[in-house]
Amino acid sequence: MPSLEISKKDLEQLVGKKFKTKDELEETLQYAKTELDSLEGDLIKCSPSDTNRPDLYSTEGIARELKSRLGISPGIPKYAVKKGNVKVTVEKTVEKTLPFFVGAVVRNVKVTEDMLIQLIQLQEKVTTTFGRRRREAAIGIYDFDKMKPPFFFRGYKDNEIEFVPLEYKVPMRPSEILLEHPKGKEFAHLLAGIERYPIIIDSANQVASMPPIINSQATGKVTEKTKNLFVEVTGHKLETIQTALNVMLMALADRGGIIESIEIEYPKSPTYKQQKIISPQFDTGSMTVPKKLVNEITGISLDEKKTVTLFQRSGFDVKNTKDAFIVMYPKYRQDILHAVDIIEDLLISIGYNNIELSPLKLAVLGSESKTGRELDDVRDACIGMGLQEILTFNLTSIEKQTRLIGIEKDEFVQIANPVSQNSEIFRKQLYPELLEFLAKNKHAQYPQKIFEVGKTVSIDPSKETGCRETDKIAIVIASTTTNFTDIKSHANALAKYSNQKISFVETEHPTLESGKAAAVQIGNRKGILGELSKTVSLQFGLKTPVTILEVEL
Amino acid sequence: MTIEKTIKSLSDIERQTIRYLSEKKPKTIEEISDESKLHIDSVRRAVNWLTEKKLAKTDTQTQSEWKLTPAGKSSLSNGLPEILFLRAITDLNGKATLEQIYKKSQLNRPELNAAMGLCRKNAWITVSKQENEVVLELTGIESEILERKYRLQETLIQVSKGNQPGKPNPIIEDLRRRGLIEERAEKATLATLTTEGAAALPLLEKNKTRNFDVQGEVPELFFGKKQPYQQFLKLVTRKLNEMGFMEMDSPLVTQEFYNFDVLFQPQNHPARSWTDTYQLKQPKTGKLPPSPVVSAIKAAHENGGKSQSTGWQYDWSEEIARRVMPTAHGTAHSARQLVKGVSIPGKYYTIARCFRPDVVDATHLIEFNQMEGIVIGDDLNFRHLLGLLKQFAVEFAGAEEVKFAPSYYPFTEPSVQLNARHKELGWIELGGAGMFRPEMHENLGISQQILAWGIGIDRLAMLKLGIKDIRYLFSDDLTWLRNAPAVKLE
Repeated sequence: MPSLEISKKDLEQLVGKKFKTKDELEETLQYAKTELDSLEGDLIKCSPSDTNRPDLYSTEGIARELKSRLGISPGIPKYAVKKGNVKVTVEKTVEKTLPFFVGAVVRNVKVTEDMLIQLIQLQEKVTTTFGRRRREAAIGIYDFDKMKPPFFFRGYKDNEIEFVPLEYKVPMRPSEILLEHPKGKEFAHLLAGIERYPIIIDSANQVASMPPIINSQATGKVTEKTKNLFVEVTGHKLETIQTALNVMLMALADRGGIIESIEIEYPKSPTYKQQKIISPQFDTGSMTVPKKLVNEITGISLDEKKTVTLFQRSGFDVKNTKDAFIVMYPKYRQDILHAVDIIEDLLISIGYNNIELSPLKLAVLGSESKTGRELDDVRDACIGMGLQEILTFNLTSIEKQTRLIGIEKDEFVQIANPVSQNSEIFRKQLYPELLEFLAKNKHAQYPQKIFEVGKTVSIDPSKETGCRETDKIAIVIASTTTNFTDIKSHANALAKYSNQKISFVETEHPTLESGKAAAVQIGNRKGILGELSKTVSLQFGLKTPVTILEVEL
Repeated sequence: MTIEKTIKSLSDIERQTIRYLSEKKPKTIEEISDESKLHIDSVRRAVNWLTEKKLAKTDTQTQSEWKLTPAGKSSLSNGLPEILFLRAITDLNGKATLEQIYKKSQLNRPELNAAMGLCRKNAWITVSKQENEVVLELTGIESEILERKYRLQETLIQVSKGNQPGKPNPIIEDLRRRGLIEERAEKATLATLTTEGAAALPLLEKNKTRNFDVQGEVPELFFGKKQPYQQFLKLVTRKLNEMGFMEMDSPLVTQEFYNFDVLFQPQNHPARSWTDTYQLKQPKTGKLPPSPVVSAIKAAHENGGKSQSTGWQYDWSEEIARRVMPTAHGTAHSARQLVKGVSIPGKYYTIARCFRPDVVDATHLIEFNQMEGIVIGDDLNFRHLLGLLKQFAVEFAGAEEVKFAPSYYPFTEPSVQLNARHKELGWIELGGAGMFRPEMHENLGISQQILAWGIGIDRLAMLKLGIKDIRYLFSDDLTWLRNAPAVKLE
């Protein structure tokens, strides 16, 4: 979910309406599925929630949506495109790395500092969220007057090309940019292992950029002196980059820019459905929305004329037929995959808070899972024994589950991208977590008698998820009077409570004191119990005698 | 308080202590402890209580006491200089020069000179000059101190043991002058019986049972107690069961298939990236359900499958779907349930432990719970969903008013956010919900609409437990856990 910073005054100017209170602003922004995070003076911080609506990631985009919803300009937003004469040739040498390219010229742009900030914010949000961090769409904006058309999108080997990247002074090879330039380092993975680097170059052999990484210093720097812009988007899917391009162009046109088309020629290859296209395309799609489905989803009986108006206010054009509304939508609305996507917009235009609620009446019986109830019984037994229940985390450290409890090595279900060492594996035993709890509570009054009922996880290829998840109970007692007899009494009590047979076998266990440790079996559930060894006590800094019991449930 | 009542309030220790008190002879705590064989701290406490009850009175007196100085302590352990001096001469065959004695005795010069003076004064040695050297010779009288008792040393030993000389005597004076002992003033508590105390003594036998001071302090009892957050979750569970919801399985580790693919999240969706979810180093993959389900989900992603949807228009990979990961959201379990099979009509829920890489602070945990569920049945629509959400707000948060806002989830359309007005806190975000996308249930062969909901259970728990720091849900503070009041769901 992108978060935006926009000017309230700017938004009001673009919409043509003033928002008198914060509540009114908040309510109205909901039409654009946008949450108001804060309003301080003129600064609005807000977050559009739909990751498939890049058209809402700017002041212009939100204003466009609100104008439609408020009835100021309903229907599909119309944008004029003047025929231009710039040609771009996409060459076969980029087909494998970055096959698609679209673009347009925007003339008569009034570049101001504020406008530039907004433009860069939009470019950033579109490429990050909608463009999946530039993997699916990367946007370049240039000072058109510094470029010499026609342009070429071409692959170069590392030793064939060099240029000065943005904010640098010396020419660099593509591989050097990926190693040294901050943007190069950030996005190097997108060009990893390729032979030819994708380069946009003009007829004067001047490099414009190396998408999706960086523009050149020569043409890729837009300032307040810039009058005419060239905008391009590269990616792997034509529809995706067309959406990104249209989003950029509409924002520029909303501020008075004049869009001029370009002609793009793609190489002959099955990758490309067409060899020549005119860009940009402000196409519309159409979706049949059955009236039956509208009623089924909304549960509201709506007047048809009213429904048409509400569709228009959602930014669509509509034809009302006998059984369905034929809804035309702009192609950049890539969130529209199904009629339900149109119906949601209808509901938003109605206003969620204007809808009458309906009670849910289903004659079904509820219940907790059998395991859940059984685990509760064990908890009750422990409470009855006077133990304090605690809750620890499933994720823990290897250290705590091995070395600290006297185990040399073990195999765990392990996280590939841990945030910290404290959460690098799923625990296999509960008691190390309880021992740590004791270690953190040495100042609290003794005796300390605690328990936890929780899951442990181990690798098991026979399981559906490759992991075996086991419910366990651990009891840990720290007291001057606790000993093997004491913890054995607790084990017996557990068995008695669940009406199960219990048996003990003397054992050696790395965590437990030799001669004071036993393997226990309650019914068919296995576990261990005994006195904590001196070495392990020392590892956790525990001075009071400690006994532990851990059994599967 | 009558004297009988006072006697009945006496504890055992007070009863034992009072017998050793006298009306006439003040006694120190140490003396009472010695006589009664009670621990000195018990006596001190008993005397305090008896004083409060006016059966005894205390007086603080300064007593002076002789103590060993550091020089005294050193003399006691090494031997007095005059003894060392005489021993040195004895070892040198009864006659020696001062230099010889100096080397032999290890005394320093001032000690040597003082010892020589003392020995001469007591006629233990004679001093003569022979060939320009001072020669010292034992007289034989010295044997009275070397072989028999030396009173000065005896007294020093007695003082070190805490025995005080009754009257001033010359030996004490001698020791003080030599800087081996000093007089120190110490405060002592002297207890005597009051008139009431004296009157109470003969009545003790008749009034043996004790009446407790009902307002007095008693030791704290730590009883078996549920973890407050766990207890809250159990109350929520019970409430959901009452509302007709049935619990679903909620494994900690899940296949990406259930976490994302069944939920129609495209495989290149940013929420599937490395930074937003945990991934496993081992094991890497799990198993997928029977192939018809897998093919149906593949079709949903690629072209919408049986639904009237265009799908996401990309090549769906079974390999990615098979990967396993720590469950990132509770909806994964709704997806699993839908694949496993649901009763229609049916209501399902889970309170699931979920995992997301984050930096832990007062508002974020990397491990948290989500309460989620689905409702499936004939003729369910958006209005029913809103009705259900309002019911949740009332049942779980005691909300007085609710407000809905449009929202976005990849797997629901329409989607809605639930806000509730709480008595004390004002408007709070309580949860999210929506109707499952047709690409999901239509491809799983379910023709009914499915309402899906989630309630921010951790935030609600913080509200109910009155805590501001989310880490207290998994509190590692035993004292806090012992003192946290029982949770209620209103």
